[in-house]
Amino acid sequence: MMSNDPKEHTPAPAGSPGNGPALPVWIFSLTLVLLFLGGVYFDESSGWFNAQIYKPYTDADQLEAYQPVSGAAAILAQGKHTYDTICAACHGPDGTGKPGQAPPLAGSEWVNDHAHTRLIEIPQLGLNGQVTVKGQSWSLSMAPMGAGLSDSDMAAVLTYVRSSWGNKGDDVSADDVKAVRGTIAGHPAIAGETGLKAIKE
Amino acid sequence: MNSGCRIFLVSFVALGLSWGGFVIAPAIQLGTQKQTAVLNSSLTYPEQRPGEATMGLQVYRRSGCAACHTTQLQQDGVECEVIVTGMGKTPVAVSNLLSSLNLTGLSKDDAQSASDQITAKGGKTEIHIVPTGGDIARGWGSRRSVSEDFLWDYPVQLGSVRMGPDLADVGSRLGSYSWQLLHLYAPQATTKDSTMPPFRYLFVVQKVGDVPSPDALQLPAEFAPPSGYEVVPTMAAEKLAAYLLSLHANVPLHDAPFTAAAPPEPTKAKK
Amino acid sequence: MNENDKIDPANSAISVSCRVPLLALFGGAALWLVIGLALVMLASLNFHMPGMFSDHGWMTYGRMLAAGNDAILYGFAIPTALGVMLWILASLSDSELALPLVPVLAANVWHLGVLVGIAAIFMGDSTGFQWLEFPRGGSVLLFAAYMLMGISAMATFGARRKRALQPAHWFLLAALFWFPWIYTSANVFLVAWPVRGVGQAVIDWWFSNNLIFVWLTLVGLGTVFYYVPKFAGRPLHNQPLALFGFVTFILISTWCGIPQGAPVPAWFPAASTTASILLIVPVLSLLAVFVKTVCGVQTQCKGGPFCYMKFGTTAFIVSALMLIPLGCPRFGVLAQFTEYAQAQSYMQILGFFSIVICGAVYELMPRVMGMDWPFQKFVRFQHWLFMGGLAILVISLAIGGVEQEMNNYNFTSGVIFMKFATLGFLLLLLGSLLFAANIFVMTLKWKLGLAKAFIAVIKRPLDASEVKS
Repeated sequence: MMSNDPKEHTPAPAGSPGNGPALPVWIFSLTLVLLFLGGVYFDESSGWFNAQIYKPYTDADQLEAYQPVSGAAAILAQGKHTYDTICAACHGPDGTGKPGQAPPLAGSEWVNDHAHTRLIEIPQLGLNGQVTVKGQSWSLSMAPMGAGLSDSDMAAVLTYVRSSWGNKGDDVSADDVKAVRGTIAGHPAIAGETGLKAIKE
Repeated sequence: MNSGCRIFLVSFVALGLSWGGFVIAPAIQLGTQKQTAVLNSSLTYPEQRPGEATMGLQVYRRSGCAACHTTQLQQDGVECEVIVTGMGKTPVAVSNLLSSLNLTGLSKDDAQSASDQITAKGGKTEIHIVPTGGDIARGWGSRRSVSEDFLWDYPVQLGSVRMGPDLADVGSRLGSYSWQLLHLYAPQATTKDSTMPPFRYLFVVQKVGDVPSPDALQLPAEFAPPSGYEVVPTMAAEKLAAYLLSLHANVPLHDAPFTAAAPPEPTKAKK
Repeated sequence: MNENDKIDPANSAISVSCRVPLLALFGGAALWLVIGLALVMLASLNFHMPGMFSDHGWMTYGRMLAAGNDAILYGFAIPTALGVMLWILASLSDSELALPLVPVLAANVWHLGVLVGIAAIFMGDSTGFQWLEFPRGGSVLLFAAYMLMGISAMATFGARRKRALQPAHWFLLAALFWFPWIYTSANVFLVAWPVRGVGQAVIDWWFSNNLIFVWLTLVGLGTVFYYVPKFAGRPLHNQPLALFGFVTFILISTWCGIPQGAPVPAWFPAASTTASILLIVPVLSLLAVFVKTVCGVQTQCKGGPFCYMKFGTTAFIVSALMLIPLGCPRFGVLAQFTEYAQAQSYMQILGFFSIVICGAVYELMPRVMGMDWPFQKFVRFQHWLFMGGLAILVISLAIGGVEQEMNNYNFTSGVIFMKFATLGFLLLLLGSLLFAANIFVMTLKWKLGLAKAFIAVIKRPLDASEVKS
C-alpha cells in the first residue's frame, strides 16, 4: 500500500548551536586511521607519480637495479647492428678496411690491447693525421662517428669489434664509456699517433 | 550547508580534484609520451602498425571484441635467476658451490650475492630478470603491458572482462594468419569447448569457381560448408587478422624490464 | 477511500506543472528499461548458445551488450533520475516547476539522442569506450537535453520559498552539476580531441566511475534522504553526520575506478586503492544515518515504495562493499577482469539505483497525476521480481567471477553461472514490463481523461444566454 500521509518535518537548520546531534567520535577515529593506512599505502606503492614506475616496482632505484644486463650474445648482436650501420661503410663489413678510406680493425694493435680510454676516445672524438696500423702508415681523417651513440650502443660496438675477426680484446662496458665520455667532453679530435700515445689510461 | 553556492563550491572542489588527477594529469603525463627504446638495442618502440593492422583495430572495435578480451597483461612481481655461463679454471669448486646455492626465484640482492660467490670461484654468470604473475604463468606474455604499448592506438581497446584469453601478445604466440581466420569463423574448430560466438558475418560462403579461391579457409568436416562451396574472408576479416597478428608485447623496455631470450628483432607481421 | 485520491490542494499547482515533463521522461525511460534488459538478456545467451547470433554483424555480443547497457543507463536511469530530481526540487522549493515546457522539449531530445546512439552502436559506430559508446550525434543531443533540463531545475531551485537547504538538496544539486562536467570532459578528451595512448583508458575509467558510482549514488541517496524521513515519520537522524558522509563521499569516491593491473604508471591504481580504503568512511556514515532513521519504524511497507527504498539502500551498501575489494591490490588484480566487476556494476545500476528510483516514481506519480496506479498489485510484484532477479544475477555473476579467476580465466566451467545470470535478467525484464505497463496505462488514462474533458466541454448544452435569439 502507499505510504502514510507524509508529515512535514522541518529539521533544525544545520549548524544551529546547541541543537541536535553532533558527529559521533567513532567516525573521526575511523577517518584518521584510514587516512593513515591509505597514506602509508600510497607512499609505499605509488612511485610518487613517476611515469616510469609500474607495479610491481615501487621506486626508481629498484627499477634501475632490475634492468637486465645484456647477455653476451645480445651485446654482440647489438654491436654488430651498430657496426653495420655506422662503421662498416669505411672499415668494411669484415673489419679489413680499405686503402684511402679507413685502416683495418681486424688484427689492429690499437684494438687488441688492454686500453679502454683510447679505444673509446677514437670514435667519440675522431682522429686526424698519421697513424701506423699493422706496419702500414695511414694518413686519413675520421669524423667522431660514435659521438651520437648511446653508452650502451658504443660499448656494444667496441665489444663486438674486439671479439670479431680474430681480435681478442677486453669487453668494453657501458659504465666505462660513460666515465670516459665524462672526462673528454669538449675535447678536439685526436692528433694522429702522437695524440693516441698521449692518452692516459 | 545553507546555500546553493556552498554546495556548488564543495562539489566544484571535489570534482575538480579528481578531474585534475585523472583527466588532466594523464592527458599530460601519458598524452605527451614519445616512443621509447627497446632495452639493450637501438630499436625504437613501438613501431607503428602496418596499414591493414591499423584498420583492423577499427574492425576490432566495431565487432565488440573488447567486450570479452583484454589486451593488457598484468605482472605481480619480478625475480632474478642466476645462469652459469662458464665454469672457469676450477670447475669442481664451482659445481660444489652450485649444489648448495639456490639460483632461481631470487631478489636482485640475493642474485647478486650468489653471482659474486660463483665468480669468486672463477665461474662466469649472468643474472636474468624474470617477471612473474598469473598472466605470465599462463603463457600469455613475457612482461606486463605498459603505456608505450598503446601509443599509436585510437581508440585504445584495453577491454574490461576476460571471457577469453588476453590478446596483448597474441601475435607472438598465435602468429598464424590462417589460424586466426579459422578461429574467427569457427572458434570451436580451433579451441574445443570455446564459448566464443562464431563471427560468421565476417566471412562469405560462396560457390567454388573454376579454381578454388586461394583465400578459402581449410575447415574441419563439421564446420565446412556444403560441397561445392567455400568460405572466404571479407576484407574486414583480413584486416582483423592482420591487427591480431600485429599485437606484440614481447620486447623488454625500461619500465617493463626482463631478459629477452634472444636479441630483439624488429617485429614483423607474418602472412 | 484511498487516501491518495485526496490530493493536497497546496500541491496541485506543483503537480500540474510537473505532469507532462515527468510523463515524457518516465514513459521513454520505461520503454528503454524494457529494451535494455531484453538486449542484455539476449547478449547473455551468447555464452550458453554461442551460434545464435553469428550470422549478422549487428547482433554480435559486443554490440548487443553495449546497446543494452547504454539503454539501461542513458535511456532509463538518467531520465528517471532527472524526472525525480525535478519533482523533489519543485516539492522542496514549494513552487511550481519553472519553465515547464523546457523539460518536455528536453525529454524528447534526450530520448531521441538515446535512439540515435543505440542505432549507431548497432551499426558498428560505437566509440569503443565503455559506457560512452554513443558517437557524436547521440552525445550532442544528450548534452543539449541535459542543459535544458538543468536550466529548469536551477530556476525551480532558485524560486524556493524556504531558503534553508535539506540533505536531499546537497545530493541532488551536486549531481546536477556533476554530469555536464564529466560528460563534456569525457567527450572532449576521448572523442573530439582524443588524448594519445593509454590516457584514453584512464579518462574512460574516471568517467565510468563518476557516472555509475558517484552520480547515480548522489541522485539515489538524495532521493532516499528525501523520502525515507517521510515514510518513517521522523526526521533524518543526525544531519551533521549526513553532511559529513556527503562531503567525504564526493571527495573520495571520485578517485575510485582505476583497475589494479592497468598498463598505467603505478600511482594511478595506488590512488584508486587509497580511495577505496577511505570509501569506508562515507559508506559507514551514510549507512548509520539511514539505519538510525529507519530502525524501529513500525510502518509496514508491504512491497510499496518504502520497501523499494530500504532494499535499494541495502543494495547500495552491498555495491559499495563490492567496489572496495576491487580497489585492493591482491583481490582487485584477480577479480577486475571477471564477471565480479560486472556484478558490481549491475548491483549499482539495477540493484541500488533502479530500485530506489522506481520506488520514487511509484510514490510521486499518483500525486503528480492526481490518480492512482492502474495496476496496484504490480508494484508489489515488481518489487519481488526485482529483488529475486537481482539476487540471482549478482550472486551468480559474483561467484562465477571468483570461480573464473580461480580457474585461470578458463571460462568453460563457468557457463552455468551465465545461465543463472540470464535467468536473473529475465526476472528483471518481467519486472520492468510491469513498471512499463503501469506507466503506459496511467499515461493513456490521463490522456483519455483529457480527451473526455475536452469532449465534455464541446458537448455541453449551451446556456440560454449563449444562443443568439
